[in-house]
Amino acid sequence: MNVTPETAAVWDALKTIPDPEFGLNIVDMGLIYSVENQDGNIAVTMTLTTENCPSGEWIYEGVKTALNALPEARNVEVTMTFDPHWTPDMLSEDGKRQLGM
Amino acid sequence: MPEPGSHPSPAAAPRPASKQSWLAAQGRLPLAFMGLALIWLLVATTLLVAHPGLLGMPHAAPPVIALTHSWMLGFFVTVACGAVYQLVPVALTTTLWKENLGWWHFWLHAVGVPGMVFFFQSYQLKWVALFATAVILGVLLFTVNTWVTVGRSTRRDVVAWAIILAAGWLCLAVLAGLFLALNRLFTWVPVAPLALLRMHAHLGLIGFFLALLQGVAFQLIPMFTMGEVRDWGPAKAGLWFSQAGLVALVPALIWQWAVLTYLGAVAVTIGLVFSGYGLQQSLTTRKKRKLDPGIAVFLRGGIGIYAAALAGIALTLPDSTRSTAVGGFNPMIYALLGILGGLMPCIAGMMCKVVPFLTWMRVYGPLVGRRPTPPAHSLTHPRLEYWGLGLQQFAVLPLLVGAWWSSQLWLHLGAWLLAVGVVLFLADMVGVMKHLWLPATAPAPGPALKPKLTASQTK
Repeated sequence: MNVTPETAAVWDALKTIPDPEFGLNIVDMGLIYSVENQDGNIAVTMTLTTENCPSGEWIYEGVKTALNALPEARNVEVTMTFDPHWTPDMLSEDGKRQLGM
Repeated sequence: MPEPGSHPSPAAAPRPASKQSWLAAQGRLPLAFMGLALIWLLVATTLLVAHPGLLGMPHAAPPVIALTHSWMLGFFVTVACGAVYQLVPVALTTTLWKENLGWWHFWLHAVGVPGMVFFFQSYQLKWVALFATAVILGVLLFTVNTWVTVGRSTRRDVVAWAIILAAGWLCLAVLAGLFLALNRLFTWVPVAPLALLRMHAHLGLIGFFLALLQGVAFQLIPMFTMGEVRDWGPAKAGLWFSQAGLVALVPALIWQWAVLTYLGAVAVTIGLVFSGYGLQQSLTTRKKRKLDPGIAVFLRGGIGIYAAALAGIALTLPDSTRSTAVGGFNPMIYALLGILGGLMPCIAGMMCKVVPFLTWMRVYGPLVGRRPTPPAHSLTHPRLEYWGLGLQQFAVLPLLVGAWWSSQLWLHLGAWLLAVGVVLFLADMVGVMKHLWLPATAPAPGPALKPKLTASQTK
């Protein structure tokens, strides 16, 4: 996870999106694969814990909503991918600590 | 991984295919079943507290049958069907075939079961059969809906087969129940009613509930504990041994073939051992070390199921009391172990995970990204959950003692302990479902959700 001055606000916004099952935000869950921000053109590539994640639709829509609400956002693209598949190893250190791992 | 910035493919984005499946995915139908089940839990517990002595009576006595149906059809089947409507599309990465069929099932079930329980009390079998027909129609819709839903998925592993088989066995179980009632009225087939009753009960318990647990547990436990199933062999063996055992038990119980009954019971138990081993292996891979209370209680239900399986084998032995005798080691002990000792913690434990999640989906899912939302587990009240589930489990001991010794005192004690546990559990579930009408206003984000990054931070 690389945070640059351009992407910091995007990462912060993503950190407000929860995974309802585990109670962690989706950044600490390791669900965000990449973030780009070029002059307000924001591109996020993300995944879900499983392809059939029942809350996946809300998380996906929530990411788009939160990013579109950013003052600098001009165009937001959110790409969902399952390659590679998410594994618990992708949890952040903070996330692992909170889950007692 | 695709290049950042590429568009999501329709297959990748987890979006339901139609408006109907979209609504189902939001949990309205499963939540309706859960709500109905909670009402039945209150009714069934009230019946037990009002008449705890029923557990000291022969299990074929009409009021005992009424009580049993209030628990089994009213509570357990209702929860399980609601869970299937939610979990099957999720587990099989598909969408529910027809949500409106699910609603027809709901209303037929909601009308049919109270009528059955009421007329079982006075043993008016014609009326029982009439209301049972409504229940059967609902179950037929459930089975068709489930089968088509599974058929639309490409998954054909233990989880899928367990769901297919469970839906089929439930259908047979309710049809067998109707046949049993009609055969009492018209005597079409000269078979002992008690033998048919046992076959009917085992179709439901082993065919529906056990098959469902033996499959769905391998989907849910790894999902909730961040574990995995590395070897599906034990899960497969578990399901198929138990299925083989049930296939043997059905004719053996009807025609009272002692040896085949014994072999069937042993096969079911071997299946349970395989399933338990497979689940234990999966648990060793879990990344989330601390188990949620609901999951822990779900797993403890396995103890009751094992105890019931051993009691079942013992009941097939030649010198055991397989009659309707009261007191001592009798079928009531077996039923208490299996239903209240095994099924109850499995179902109630899973409800502690499923109901908050479904509620979260409906209430807070649409708010994600717009305002802070609480995690699903925070909708429950931990102390109510702990004491509710704990007392329910603890109550099984005095009930067993009371049924064994034919002691009204112990039966009353057990019934009241169970009732307190149920009330606490209901308070917890009502507190969760209250969010459907009274959502928390702008809940504060937990520590995990507070933004912490700054522009200078880099990992």
